[in-house]
Amino acid sequence: MDKKTGVYICSGCGIGDALDIAALSKVATKESKVPVCKTHAFLCGAEGVAQIKSDIENEGVNTVVIAGCSSRVNYDVFDFGPSVILERANIREQVIWCHPAEDEDTQMMAEDNLRMSLAKAGHIEIPEGYHGENMVKTILVVGGGLTGITAAIEGAKAGYKTVLVEKSPVLGGWMNNLFKQAPLKAPYSDPEEVDIAVRIQEVEANPDVTVYTSAEIKEIAGAPGMFDVKIEQNGQEINERIGSVVLATGAVPYDASKLEHLGYGKYANVITSQAFEELAKNGKIVRPGDGKEVQSIAFLQCAGSRDAEHLPYCSSVCCVESLKQATYLKEQNPEAAIYVFHKDIRTPGQYEKLYKRVQKDGAVFVRGDVTGITEDDDKNLLIEAADVLTGATIGTEGVDLVVLATGMVPTTAFGESLDAKSENEEKEEKPQGDTIIRSNLLNLAYRQGPEMPTLKYGFSDSHFVCFPYETRRTGIYAAGSVRAPMDALSSIEDATGAAMKAIQCIELSELGSAVHPRVGDLSFPSFAMQRCTQCKRCTVECPFGAINEDDKFNPLPNPTRCRRCGICMGACPERIISFKNYSVPMIGNMIKAIEVPEEDEEKPRIVVFACENDAIPCLDMAGINRLSYNAWVRVIPVRCLGSMSLVWIADTLSKGIDGILLLGCKHGDDYQCHFIKGSELAETRLSKVAETLDRLSLESERVRMEQVSIMDYDQIPGILDGFAERLEELGPNPYKGF
Amino acid sequence: MEEIKSVSLEMKDYIVSSGAETLSWCMQCGLCTNLCPWRLVPGEVSEAFNIRKMQRLGQLGLEGFEDEEILFACATCGMCQSNCPRKVEIINNVRSMRNTTVGAGFLPAHLRPIAGSIHANGNPWSGEKEKRAEWQEGLDIPAFSEDTEYLLYVCCTSCYDTRSKKIAKSIVSLLKEAGVSFGVLTAEENCCGETIRKLGDEELFQKLAESNIKLFNSKGVKKIITTSPHCLYAFKKDYPDYGGEYEVVHYSEVLSKLMKEGKLTFKGEVGKKVTFHDPCYLGRHNEVYDAPRELIQAIPGVEFVELERNKSKSLCCAGGGGRVWAEVPMGQRFGELRITDAVEKQADVLVTACPYCILMLDDACAGLEKNDVLEVMEMSELLCSASKP
Repeated sequence: MDKKTGVYICSGCGIGDALDIAALSKVATKESKVPVCKTHAFLCGAEGVAQIKSDIENEGVNTVVIAGCSSRVNYDVFDFGPSVILERANIREQVIWCHPAEDEDTQMMAEDNLRMSLAKAGHIEIPEGYHGENMVKTILVVGGGLTGITAAIEGAKAGYKTVLVEKSPVLGGWMNNLFKQAPLKAPYSDPEEVDIAVRIQEVEANPDVTVYTSAEIKEIAGAPGMFDVKIEQNGQEINERIGSVVLATGAVPYDASKLEHLGYGKYANVITSQAFEELAKNGKIVRPGDGKEVQSIAFLQCAGSRDAEHLPYCSSVCCVESLKQATYLKEQNPEAAIYVFHKDIRTPGQYEKLYKRVQKDGAVFVRGDVTGITEDDDKNLLIEAADVLTGATIGTEGVDLVVLATGMVPTTAFGESLDAKSENEEKEEKPQGDTIIRSNLLNLAYRQGPEMPTLKYGFSDSHFVCFPYETRRTGIYAAGSVRAPMDALSSIEDATGAAMKAIQCIELSELGSAVHPRVGDLSFPSFAMQRCTQCKRCTVECPFGAINEDDKFNPLPNPTRCRRCGICMGACPERIISFKNYSVPMIGNMIKAIEVPEEDEEKPRIVVFACENDAIPCLDMAGINRLSYNAWVRVIPVRCLGSMSLVWIADTLSKGIDGILLLGCKHGDDYQCHFIKGSELAETRLSKVAETLDRLSLESERVRMEQVSIMDYDQIPGILDGFAERLEELGPNPYKGF
Repeated sequence: MEEIKSVSLEMKDYIVSSGAETLSWCMQCGLCTNLCPWRLVPGEVSEAFNIRKMQRLGQLGLEGFEDEEILFACATCGMCQSNCPRKVEIINNVRSMRNTTVGAGFLPAHLRPIAGSIHANGNPWSGEKEKRAEWQEGLDIPAFSEDTEYLLYVCCTSCYDTRSKKIAKSIVSLLKEAGVSFGVLTAEENCCGETIRKLGDEELFQKLAESNIKLFNSKGVKKIITTSPHCLYAFKKDYPDYGGEYEVVHYSEVLSKLMKEGKLTFKGEVGKKVTFHDPCYLGRHNEVYDAPRELIQAIPGVEFVELERNKSKSLCCAGGGGRVWAEVPMGQRFGELRITDAVEKQADVLVTACPYCILMLDDACAGLEKNDVLEVMEMSELLCSASKP
């Protein structure tokens, strides 16, 4: 495409008062010889927009560069359709709102921002979305419990064909075991009749849902929009073409045989909460040991939970379940004595009301560790516990029955662990790989492993801090207790959310667009394969398992699995990976576009590679709040810090720029990186930079990385000025002027 | 090895059956303890008494709450109760726990003469029954009859205590001036029983309540004006359960209403800075906050100033719950904090509207030697002083 560039400088919002607009225009007209350059005092108004549209229609402008506000605002106003290349140079939030008006350095900053935008626009090509063959819009739901049933119903209600696969012969899962369910509606104080049968009936009656019971997934191959799924049912193989997947295989109770210290297996009248549901379901609540009617009961909460020896985490539902079970006994016998031994009573949502009700029924709650359980001659159980609230060790009178409230273990936690690190040749330098456990649930035909990566404690992957429905396997969404401990109400909500995600994925894949967080991006990576050295970095580092390998060990991208973060681009040492609108040379030329003053001018320059997802909005917010910082910084937005190519560091420093700051998301266990590992990978790559810098006889401190979240805007001046101060101590980059 | 304390659900049930119906509602958050005025003073009782823990012992039926310092420490000020997130009726729980020992005949030594006097004389102040109406001499107060609208019920304290008698007299004078139709049955009355009930002597309280109700009903009493907020509480909240249903008001409520109707005016000027201490039983327990303020501010020349802790956050004088008879060392009395509050506001007069508060605050003011800068007055006294030019 032959580009005809139009530059439009807005002088509104104080820009015209702060900057020399005529001088800024010269950057476009004189330096870049841009054919069209106009200024307007209110560019986002109807007249300003009409002017741009008129130039597009009448003057043949097809590349629009707007110098004005941040690209995060007015994106709807400045939308000129898919055939026009648009680039926004931020001279408002990041320039005039943070720097003094009518100042030489502020002016230089604005001019550099325009230069960088012009360089970027020069590189952008209009992407065309990827269109796969035989794409379908069917949703596969794996697991037929409450979550799976809900996801299937919600998907079908929204007009999508849904395939529901359940391992056991009947649908309903865990809910089938219950006598009553914790209330799903106000006033949340009384247990309800279990309503799973109604839900099963609804899903089975829905003509858009195909249910396979006694069935398992043998293989899922392919990518969103075109997964090929092999289902085995009663020894027969069924093939389904699937658009996207909801993983809803749930959790199972912790193995109580490991809880002998609480009397399980030792005393006949110590049972699990699951067994207590059975007792209640069978009618009168009697002791399993001798059939005696239960008059007193002790619930032991956190039985094997929040316990370093067993499950270290809280399963979030056990307290509510025990409270619910307490009402069973009170119903049978209002005089019954009920003890609840707990670490804390945790009643998420509205279940405090159930807790209150059980308190009002007279139950005795004891906060503290159970220190011993013994049995008397009548098989009654005597419990000793440290009562935190009196500071004393207390002992109960004999109780008829002890119920252990055991936690939940996700179904993804069972199986042999596949150590992703073993494939990694430079172990110590690479971030830790995904943990994948062969749990035999999805059997993905992905080179990265057959199942979803797992989080701590074996729960299925989910971007739990920021986007809980998102996972590292595009088009596969985990919902319900397989991804985090949750109760029925939360599972229903989670299932609905996951169904919505599955639908978005199907529709966006069909359009050739990326899914979250780059919805609407039609670009996808292309590989200049003749230069590939088969180093596998792209396939290993892609957080989404988007890149398989062909039979010649070349990377084989799956465009609909791709999230367009560019991590592969940053990983590739040969720089063979690029996007139509994002590439290594594009950023390289933006760096080159920065004017670096001579050493004696004492105007240092700092390049900030800033993550578009959090760091850029953070910088914008610093501007909105009129926080000020040095005018030496030049901000280059990147899709993800993980897309950072080391060559940019060399480009920057060899140009005489004094320092480089990488501004990315928080990483670690509770990462906030939209692309999971991008900021962590950037940091790892950075550790190798020292070597490069030494070769150039430069201090490694000239490159720094900082983690910011979107709310950390108040820290921006400190981060930027602190770095500038350190650079001043180091002195100017000796390459200046070369 | 550490001693294992035995949980007794039987004991717990006994406490609950004595009236602690909300005992098990408590989730032990501890807000009560933190709001308790005992946290503001040092000393043995402060260290021993923790209202949260006391209730915990009750919940488990554990021994330990019956120690005198713990069981009889609570002044029933209601600061905890009115802020409890679980709406636990903490004072009822305290009362019931006291009842488990008092009901069995174990009353602390210093309280035995009090209970004895109530038994014998119908008042806790060891005053002879015949002398209950002595303070009325020369006042020409009509006896209550079918033709009078209100019964004026005077607190035992104001019937016998020399200082407190002035309160009764002032109230009578104000009621007369405002033209209220009222009469008295003082000589035949018994103590309202509010405090002895809080002390856990349910049996004695019942006896008092029944005799008073019998008297009131036989005379056709429909409306009662009380001089003390404690009597107000008893008649309003305790008596209905025993068949005593009356329209009960504190004298401040009556006077404020009449003042608004123009039937009571203050012509005398009081050029002083005046502050008001909300009695717990008038404020938190009966939610009368505005009436006394309206009256005080109607006095010409008064510069009214609020204490830092006021209305529902008012700090207890330590006179409730039987604490009026407790011996507390200097430096550990809530009243001292209250005097300091008033001095800090540079008030000339600290006004309150409760005979117990007057006893406690007078003591504290004298103890702190602040009489030269601060005068403690019952509201009726201040109003009386301003009623004539």
